Amino acid sequence: MIGKISIDLHKVSKTVNLAIPTLAILFFLAGWKLSYYFHFGTIAFALLTLINFFYMRVQTGHALLRNFGLMGQARYMMESIGPELRQYFFANDTEEKPFNRTERSEVYRKAKGVDSATSFGSQHEFDAREVKVRHSMYPILKDQQIPYSLTFGSERGIENTYTIDKPFIISAMSYGALGEKAVRSLARGAKKAGIPMNTGEGGYPKYHLDEGCDLIFQMGTAKFGVRNDDGTLNDAKLSELVNKDSIKMIEIKLSQGAKPGKGGLLPKEKITDEIAELRGVPKGKDVISPPFHPECVGAQNTVQFIAHVQQVSGLPVGIKLCVGRPAQLEELIVEMVAQNTFPDWISVDGSEGGTGAAPKAFIDSVGMPLYPALKTVNDLLSKHGARDKLKLLAAGKLVSPERQMVAFCLGADAVYSARGFMLALGCIQALQCGNNTCPVGITTHDPELQRGIDIDVKSDRVSNYVHNLQHDLEELLSAAGCRSVQELSFDHLYIPSESTLAPYVTR
Amino acid sequence: MNKATSSTISWIAQIGAVVIMGQSLFFKFTAHPESVAIFTDIGMEPNGRILIGVVELIACLLLLRPASAHYGALLGACTMGGAIVGHFTQIGWTGERGQLGLLAVLVFVFCAVILYIRRMDLPFIKVALDESKRRPARED
Repeated sequence: MIGKISIDLHKVSKTVNLAIPTLAILFFLAGWKLSYYFHFGTIAFALLTLINFFYMRVQTGHALLRNFGLMGQARYMMESIGPELRQYFFANDTEEKPFNRTERSEVYRKAKGVDSATSFGSQHEFDAREVKVRHSMYPILKDQQIPYSLTFGSERGIENTYTIDKPFIISAMSYGALGEKAVRSLARGAKKAGIPMNTGEGGYPKYHLDEGCDLIFQMGTAKFGVRNDDGTLNDAKLSELVNKDSIKMIEIKLSQGAKPGKGGLLPKEKITDEIAELRGVPKGKDVISPPFHPECVGAQNTVQFIAHVQQVSGLPVGIKLCVGRPAQLEELIVEMVAQNTFPDWISVDGSEGGTGAAPKAFIDSVGMPLYPALKTVNDLLSKHGARDKLKLLAAGKLVSPERQMVAFCLGADAVYSARGFMLALGCIQALQCGNNTCPVGITTHDPELQRGIDIDVKSDRVSNYVHNLQHDLEELLSAAGCRSVQELSFDHLYIPSESTLAPYVTR
Repeated sequence: MNKATSSTISWIAQIGAVVIMGQSLFFKFTAHPESVAIFTDIGMEPNGRILIGVVELIACLLLLRPASAHYGALLGACTMGGAIVGHFTQIGWTGERGQLGLLAVLVFVFCAVILYIRRMDLPFIKVALDESKRRPARED
């Protein structure tokens, strides 16, 4: 190894640790004998010496600091800015998770109404596992398409049906998860775009209601806003809530993609006085909803509960779930058929869902991903003759027209997106949603951070995003030779053998 | 020591430090003869006198805001550290200078108390101190 120049960090830190007190002494001597101004150095290096002593001799929690002192701290400092550095400089355009730069840029462009044409080929790996849409040899013109329309509740023949004319819905994000300005921007944007918005399970949807857009009230397992003290449904409160004009539908959340099998979680950092009041919960500790509705402990009473909510509310009522074991889901569908009671829609949330705060083990490894789950639900419903009794919604990273198109081919009637709309609001994927420190003011209640959001500008972005999604969807439909999303089918997909959908292909 | 007691003690120390440093600012900024004499002795007259005065003023302002009191205490302790070094080397402890020196020591102690009470606010220190995050090993 002679002649090789290398940096031995152990020696560097030893030298630094010796240099700091030495410099303190030298500065002291210089301050004493040359100029008093040198004592600024004396004090600074004396302070560093003290900190170093504390690191190496007093504290016991960090071995690195005990062994190397201040130089060890350099590691923690560098590490703390790692995510930013990777995002700014080092990560390539298709490797970040959950959304890579190309996916994020696509949403930003759609939200700002900028042309998203790209040149010289795709960034995707073509011979890998990505599902592609099969186009038709005989595309149709856009004006040959049937205008989109979907009516919830029509199967039951109820009075208060609800019709959407664009297949996009803002997915469940509560006031609590999001700050006031983000909620207002989304709600105002939804109104401008003419799409409904799901309130999330945050209790009385004060700010959602303020903006006057159509709302789907989500009833989580804790039933914030409509609960009795024992966690069961308070019929009177529900009736009162559904009297509000804006509330068009009710969604019962059985489980959620980010944490299937676990209740909602609002970290204590994000619980303000107002949120504590709207939800009826104490401040200062995490609010963890129960993992299930007390009314729903089996297929039979789950179906009865759906019927009960339908009867009390008089509105279309859907359920949201992340698929775990298909056999259990089949049991539920069989029970629906037996009782001749169906929810007005089922929202299938893929396990890639992610706006909710959740333990890492749950976010990473519980539940079926959207594509196979959606296919499974659609197949099971068809098998039991129940597919035409209800609508099917899909959620799970459906931020781009490509993925949404796949969901429609798998049987979805409309698609939910939460993170797509957060990106449209300007989310930069800082991954701090649970810390109340969101740098762009979306998932925080800190007024200083929310200051960055201009509701008028951001609501326009939401609206632009919807219109551009619709534009791309129509183009894709024309290319596939279909007049509506209902004409899309599994056969419109090219599925490589590496895909999670491969087992469903009959070859 | 519970939270209310430690908060009270911290506030007493903050006010004490601000009052003592604050009144000395008056002498520094108005070029009081004794102040000028001291800074002449250590070769910092007049710029150093104004500079130290400004630093002390900043420390006082920081000390009065709960969110920044720990930084004020750190700045105050460092400034007083410099003053105490001066008393031991060039300024001395005779007569009025002895009193001034003792006041510097007193402010230093106040600042040290504030820093101890608010240690969980200190960057570089709190990470190594975060006792709340330490969980004893399970023994079953």
